[in-house]
Amino acid sequence: MLPASFSFPSSDKISAKKALPDPDDVSHPTDDAAAHPEPDAGYSGAYDRSISPYDEMVTGQKRMRPHWKQFLSSLGPIHPDRMVERWEGARRLLRQNGVTYNIYGDPQGIERPWPLDLIPLLITGDEWSRIEAGVIQRAQLLNALLSDLYGPQTLIRSGRLPASLIYADPSFRRPCHGLPVPGGRYLHFYAVDLARGGDGRWWVLGDRTNTPSGAGYALENRSVVGQVLSETYRYCQVERLNPFFIAFREALSALAPGPGAPRVVLLTPGPYTETYFEHAYLARHLGITLVEGEDLAVRDRRVFLKTLSGLEPVNVILRRLDDDFCDPLELRADSSLGVAGLLQAVRAGNVVVANALGSGLMESMSYKSFLPTLCRHVLGEELQLPSLASWWCGQEAELAFVLDRLDHLVIKGANRDVVLDPIFGADLSATEKDKLRQRLRQRPWDYVGQEQITLSTAPVWQEQGLQAHHVVLRVFVAATASGYTVMPGGLTRVAPEPGRLVVSMHSGGGSKDTWVMPSERHQEPINFRASNARTDQRPIEPKAGEIRPMAGDLPSRVADGLFWLGRYAERCDGAVRLLRGTSTRLIEGDVPGASDELGALLRLLVWGGMIPAELGSGEASTREILPALRAAIFDPDHPTSLRANVQRVYRAAHSVRDRLSRDMWRVMVQIDRGSHLPEGAPEGVAVLEPLDEMVTSLSALFGLEQESMTRGPGWRFLTMGRRLERASRMVGMMRGLQVADVLWADEDRQDATLEVMLELAESFMTYRARYFATLQRSPVLHLLLVEPENPRSLAFQLTLLRDRLAELAEGTQRRAPTHNPTATALRIVEAGLTSLAQPELVRNPILLRTALDTLAATLPEVSNHLAHAFFSHAFARSA
Amino acid sequence: MPSPDRPDRPTAPPASDAAVRYRARHRTRYDYGEDVPVSHHLVHLATRSHPRQRCRRSLLTVSPAPAVRWDFKDYFGNPVSYVAVQEPHGWLDVASDLEIEVRPPPFAATETPPWNELRPLARALAGADEATAIGQFVFDSALVKTTLDLADYAKPSFPADRPIGEALIDLNRRINKDFAFDPTATTVSTPLAEVLAKRRGVCQDFAHLFIGCLRALGLPGRYVSGYLRTLPPPGRPRLVGADVSHAWVSAWCGGNRWLDLCPTNGRLVDADFITIAWGRDFDDVSPVRGVIFGGSHQKLLVEVDVEVITP
Repeated sequence: MLPASFSFPSSDKISAKKALPDPDDVSHPTDDAAAHPEPDAGYSGAYDRSISPYDEMVTGQKRMRPHWKQFLSSLGPIHPDRMVERWEGARRLLRQNGVTYNIYGDPQGIERPWPLDLIPLLITGDEWSRIEAGVIQRAQLLNALLSDLYGPQTLIRSGRLPASLIYADPSFRRPCHGLPVPGGRYLHFYAVDLARGGDGRWWVLGDRTNTPSGAGYALENRSVVGQVLSETYRYCQVERLNPFFIAFREALSALAPGPGAPRVVLLTPGPYTETYFEHAYLARHLGITLVEGEDLAVRDRRVFLKTLSGLEPVNVILRRLDDDFCDPLELRADSSLGVAGLLQAVRAGNVVVANALGSGLMESMSYKSFLPTLCRHVLGEELQLPSLASWWCGQEAELAFVLDRLDHLVIKGANRDVVLDPIFGADLSATEKDKLRQRLRQRPWDYVGQEQITLSTAPVWQEQGLQAHHVVLRVFVAATASGYTVMPGGLTRVAPEPGRLVVSMHSGGGSKDTWVMPSERHQEPINFRASNARTDQRPIEPKAGEIRPMAGDLPSRVADGLFWLGRYAERCDGAVRLLRGTSTRLIEGDVPGASDELGALLRLLVWGGMIPAELGSGEASTREILPALRAAIFDPDHPTSLRANVQRVYRAAHSVRDRLSRDMWRVMVQIDRGSHLPEGAPEGVAVLEPLDEMVTSLSALFGLEQESMTRGPGWRFLTMGRRLERASRMVGMMRGLQVADVLWADEDRQDATLEVMLELAESFMTYRARYFATLQRSPVLHLLLVEPENPRSLAFQLTLLRDRLAELAEGTQRRAPTHNPTATALRIVEAGLTSLAQPELVRNPILLRTALDTLAATLPEVSNHLAHAFFSHAFARSA
Repeated sequence: MPSPDRPDRPTAPPASDAAVRYRARHRTRYDYGEDVPVSHHLVHLATRSHPRQRCRRSLLTVSPAPAVRWDFKDYFGNPVSYVAVQEPHGWLDVASDLEIEVRPPPFAATETPPWNELRPLARALAGADEATAIGQFVFDSALVKTTLDLADYAKPSFPADRPIGEALIDLNRRINKDFAFDPTATTVSTPLAEVLAKRRGVCQDFAHLFIGCLRALGLPGRYVSGYLRTLPPPGRPRLVGADVSHAWVSAWCGGNRWLDLCPTNGRLVDADFITIAWGRDFDDVSPVRGVIFGGSHQKLLVEVDVEVITP
């Protein structure tokens, strides 16, 4: 799933194409740019447009193009501070929305923030109509080729394509040949990478036909830029993106074979894929269920979604998983990401996969040189968008040509299986060239030679002003009811620095929003234009009667993820309070009673494995304790540290990301950031402040859980995880403090222990309000263990847990009644409540100890029974 | 081409006097160690008919009884069955029972064109059907990737203008002589380069090696899976690989003539060999390929028995 990366030689090496006169210059042939400085508010003052023959903003005669003039004039007078402010605003939005891009093997962690430049790429409506027509034609052509090559193969039969073209190419998936494809539509979603050459025309660099990525990022870019530059956005009457997604969503539903309400899912390889953010984002935006391969199952040659309530039929799969990985039975056997038997379901016509399996074939470079001729033959038209001239070396004459002209060509892999960074012939020494020639002769079908192109430049905001960087534009096409439709806009990618021609997200480049602006000549009705950028990010409204990803659709894997999210978040909450209590006392060492309380807290930290045992003896000095405490907070490699638990929270949240609201995700990002050791922090870094902030963030998370989650099965599992963890924590705290011994035998430590108990259970205020200031054993124990109205009490947790389990047990009665793990879990919780109801519990240390020990042994079983009942994942493996 | 609806149509002419008739039984049993809720399998166990061979009877039995069975043809024209057991089961038994007639090779190895004349033809085959039948076997496949080492190993057998049949027999003899049959040396996933370096392996490795040599020289090579007769004809030694699935090589000799050779036994394939399926390598035609969910200590038992029967 690598994105395309483009590398091109610097512009001075380009065999200059005969440049057409720039229309924006031609239209004012008599103006003298120097004599009439243009009102660009000073933005272009130091702008060096000379690194490419074509600049998007400024013509060769240094004239500001009219649509850029319109844009800049509405941006207001140049003011670096104001821009920096906007920039910060955009970065904050991206960070809060959790827009990320995963990079494999990135030492800094799995996710990178999405890099976005605020200045959009502007394209006039006239120019866009030409792009649009060309891209639609290309989608039709590639679709026609796929439908021939995976069908009758008449193009090979008639000699228009050499047979070796498919047979030398591993992307030709033999098991996909002859699979039924409704309406002959292989490509449902297609992307094409374009670059503007020195001649001002847009050229095709590559096609994305397997699982095109980027549309979700484009949508997110729009929502951010549209908000930050809202006035300009309105003023420029930019075309909206949402109608495109609505049409695509409708088309997907319409694909469902057979009667009944369709269920559409988006199949993702999972959270470790580089574009996972986009998968979750698009699923949410389109209102379809995000699934991983293990969420689906094939039975009777039909595809089903494994949900809490059983198997639910799936009719349409929008896949973001490469075709080769989709079915371990008939495609790559070592894939654990796919669905065994999927091809059988497709073969039986019971499910539609978009894009059709095998469609990745059209990404191979080897096909490009055949397209102009095939377009004439297949569509009876000239190819509208030019692609770079290329020569597939699998043919004798072409190989000879490439060998002869190495100096002028770029050598690339003919398909995705050839691992090769583009080689620029001109950069090679004589011996290197000979080696390359040898290589080409040995496996000629693996290579293409391609003409070189320059890329246009567009302004990028850098520190104090605008700078020209090379850009590449990805345009998206969807098959809709009215044929292929192009998203009016796209994902513009930017080289990381001026002059750099490598444009890819991998190499540190950035991205831009892309604005299609109305042309004066073809002004469209105003009501189709944006009035508010926020409308573009609002998820698509369902039509009446249409199936939405509802509660019943909750995949078991997601229930599991939410359950653990609840547990880990609660575990963090416990760790934070314990660490905060300890830190406070360490710092305020001279407060009366503090040292006894500190002793109790340290013993708890030792008991929980958070600090070394020798620090709990009461002999350790502050200087010894502080470093251990810091490690217990910040050290990611410490298994029970706060940081390690936060990472668990974050990973659990990540795996169920499409189930969390934007607000919840924002809090999640805060929690994650809050537990990092501040960079370059001195030894004695204040630990209290981050701990306080963490308490606040966690409270915000629990508040959102309480206030804004629908009471469906997802919430139920999240809350069960929390309640179970909080109950275990209370039991653990009481046992760690040895309350059954200390509170009866050791009078010296009684007060401190009671104080610590109330503090960690956040029940101090409640206690004060009820029992005034005196700390007494029985009332404290009653408040923390038995009191039904104290939301921190053990009984309170167990009651909620019992209620949720009872609801679940009701829903699972149709499962085998003799062995019902939910019912077993329910019995454990009920037994716990019964033990708490003993009237002498808080007055009899033996009863208390027995009750706590029993709960400590049985509560973990609840988790196991739930896992057995709902999440037990049977992983596929090859037999 | 896959065409699930059409029944097998034998293309072989009626059996001549030289034909041998066999009953071949192949049983694969999996013990999963514990119940698995569902299993999916693709089975390549019915024989394909071809000019030297005719299938008279073919029966596939799967137990526990599968909920789904679907027969179709794969891209190479081999019959395949998809079977799914959808109830919890702790074991799976896949048994095929075939009756086949096989005849010896139809042409002499010396009466073949020079190998270097075939090479340019193979890659440039224009028609879709010829390319599907011949041309596609020139290129790399998942388990057979050509290297210079393979070409170097093959070269001594392929001096210019030698009839391809002779060259093939020579290469077959050399592989048989240079490589030791050793079931402990390799696994299904041992790469070809390692086989070449270690000079040891089993029939599957030798077939892949042979095919790699052919492709490294630009010649088409097919991987054939099948069986050997269990008991040799009187006075002949028992063949290596007689009680398991066997594999050998089919090499193109121009037109629609293919010569089958068995490097494991160092001989030409004759009426002692029963063809089940062919493809580019083992991956295309593995007899039973499956995906199960769960299971712990999986055990596998394979039995092949091929007896000559009198009509």
